[in-house]
Amino acid sequence: MTKKIVALALALCMLLGVSAAMAEKLTVTYWDDNFNGNALRAAAEDYKANVDPEFELELVLVSGSSDVENSVTTAGSSGDFSNLSDIVLFQDHWIQRFVSDYPAAWLDLEDAGINWDDFGAEKLSYSVVGGKHYGVPVDNGTSIMAYRVDILEQCGYKIEDMKGITWDKFLEIGKEVYAKTGKALLSMDGSGNDLPYMMMQAEGESQFKDGKAFIAGNEKLTRIITLLCDMVKEHVLILANDWTGYTNETIQQDQVAGVFNGNWIIPTMSQVADNAGKWQITTIPTLDGGEGYAANGGSSLYVTSNCKNPELAKKFLAYTFGGSMKTYDEALLKGGVIGCCLSAAKSEVYSAGVPFFNGQAVYSDIVEMGSHVPIVEQNDYHYTVRQYIGNAIQNILNGAEVGAALQEAQELIDFAMEQ
Amino acid sequence: MRKKKGFGLLAKQEAAGWGFLAPASLLIFIMSFYPMVQAFITSLKTGSSANLQWAEPLFKNYTRMFKDKVFMTSMGNTFLYLLIQVPIMLVLAILLAQLLNNKDLKFRGLFRTLIFLPCATALVSYALIFKTLFATEGLINAFLKGIGIIKENVNWLGQSGTAKAVIIIALLWRWTGYNMVFFLAGLQNIEYSVYEAANIDGASGWKTFWHITVPLLRPVIVMTGIMSINGTLQLFDESVNLTNGGPSNTTITMSHYIYNNSLGQGVANFGYASALAFVVFILVAILAFINMKVGDTRD
Repeated sequence: MTKKIVALALALCMLLGVSAAMAEKLTVTYWDDNFNGNALRAAAEDYKANVDPEFELELVLVSGSSDVENSVTTAGSSGDFSNLSDIVLFQDHWIQRFVSDYPAAWLDLEDAGINWDDFGAEKLSYSVVGGKHYGVPVDNGTSIMAYRVDILEQCGYKIEDMKGITWDKFLEIGKEVYAKTGKALLSMDGSGNDLPYMMMQAEGESQFKDGKAFIAGNEKLTRIITLLCDMVKEHVLILANDWTGYTNETIQQDQVAGVFNGNWIIPTMSQVADNAGKWQITTIPTLDGGEGYAANGGSSLYVTSNCKNPELAKKFLAYTFGGSMKTYDEALLKGGVIGCCLSAAKSEVYSAGVPFFNGQAVYSDIVEMGSHVPIVEQNDYHYTVRQYIGNAIQNILNGAEVGAALQEAQELIDFAMEQ
Repeated sequence: MRKKKGFGLLAKQEAAGWGFLAPASLLIFIMSFYPMVQAFITSLKTGSSANLQWAEPLFKNYTRMFKDKVFMTSMGNTFLYLLIQVPIMLVLAILLAQLLNNKDLKFRGLFRTLIFLPCATALVSYALIFKTLFATEGLINAFLKGIGIIKENVNWLGQSGTAKAVIIIALLWRWTGYNMVFFLAGLQNIEYSVYEAANIDGASGWKTFWHITVPLLRPVIVMTGIMSINGTLQLFDESVNLTNGGPSNTTITMSHYIYNNSLGQGVANFGYASALAFVVFILVAILAFINMKVGDTRD
């Protein structure tokens, strides 16, 4: 009997010993080792060097962002959160739905001591649910409108001429570019509907109104869709079949003179070393002229209720992505991750000129642009709407009438949204 | 310890039979039947996946799908693939099996292996290879252009008609060899003397095939038919990896749409997805039943 007690006591000691060693350790799930993986490593090193030498961050890599989201859905549906890591990284559009569907899965960050005013309001509008902050922003989703300056020059334009123009003017310039160089001025993943969403946001408009999809009879959206279809017909816009077609063919095989997407597209563009120095970025055209700002994608870190050491997780996030210049600089240098904290992005690294963009200080420009992005109504059915708008564009190009195609999209989305 | 007087030989054999059956039955029950029942229960519920409530009315998910245009499209697509692909594939498989069963053919083993090999490739990788082959700047376009059949590159996967054709071609490539193996096995069981007798009676090759091979292969045909119908109704990988259901959902399959409703687009609409899955299950059961009735020669 005593033996048993001794054994039990020993086992208990071991358990305590293990948990004591684990006290300074956090796990985090993420999906892109070259991109956000480098940002997380930068934060871990920063925290270890400057706050807690015992600190350890265990990185759990999955193959795509959808894997993180699926693991949350699975854990949330079963009510068993034990397989979630302490912190998870996922795309901003999901958190609203995740908090409303699985409220028990998350810890809010109200008492983490983060200066939220130091972040762009639009970025935070995703991760604030019911007035509470749930996420610490990692990468900035601010959209860039990048042009090939050398090609514009061939057609007699400068990058400054593209600032604040109307989309009609853009189409006109696009036609000239196609006629002279055979290149399109823009491309998009035909199944993804990135452009309509960003163009609407640049107008300060949403594809939702009062919690419902606002597609049919949406005047701005109708104009944008009509315009995009005209662009395709005039060879100004290439619709790729899918995402890889968009990145690997239209951008990397040098078929376009312009790129419009979240700034995370920059590493894709930079793969084409021959074009270094030929690109520059500016703001987005709008329907009636004036500079437009938008955002697309971007992710944040969220603390799960399975976190063994919430205090440490909050301290770690607050110190690093909450505003440490060192984390921000290293994340940018090693991973190309452009952060969201306005004051941390005033460093030398951020304000340095970037050779690929003809010496333009794109990083500080992007963070500055991010502070202008208008907040528009978001909805859990973001991706559903994107898919059906993408379908509507395909149908219009195949001969359907714009109003009818959007009406059909509205019906399909309404159907998907009603449970 | 000789107490087991009550067990006769028959009873012992019976007990042994049950003993052998029990593990497999238990596993099938836990892995297949229990989930089926659970899926049916889930299909009567609605709401967020963490907090499912009984639907009001109870069969709401089932009535809902008849108003669902995308589900109707997916069903149409799946049956289109089924009606075109399965007959072509089975006929090709029988013919290939017949050819490769020829005793005088050289390198038989090699040919058999080569034809069987496609189904040893992973579903995702073969779909991706087909995607690259049929890309706008892909090999197929380069080849067709080279021999002068087409003038401009065709966007195979970007148009609904050609995208469906590519899916069917991909399915044929992958599964014909697989079915051929079953027919080959079936052919081995037909006595060579039957053919010799037919030969002596003066039956032509075609007559031998039609009156001897096909009837004797009937059980194998029924089995491959059921398996192919079942497989096609649950078609998923090709729709996801080759076309992602596009363009504009015109090539989506039922399983792909079920996935989109459960995890694919983060909608987590498990109640509705289960109802759809249950309908697919019923369809498979009905078709398998018809197939077995048609194939059954016992009166």
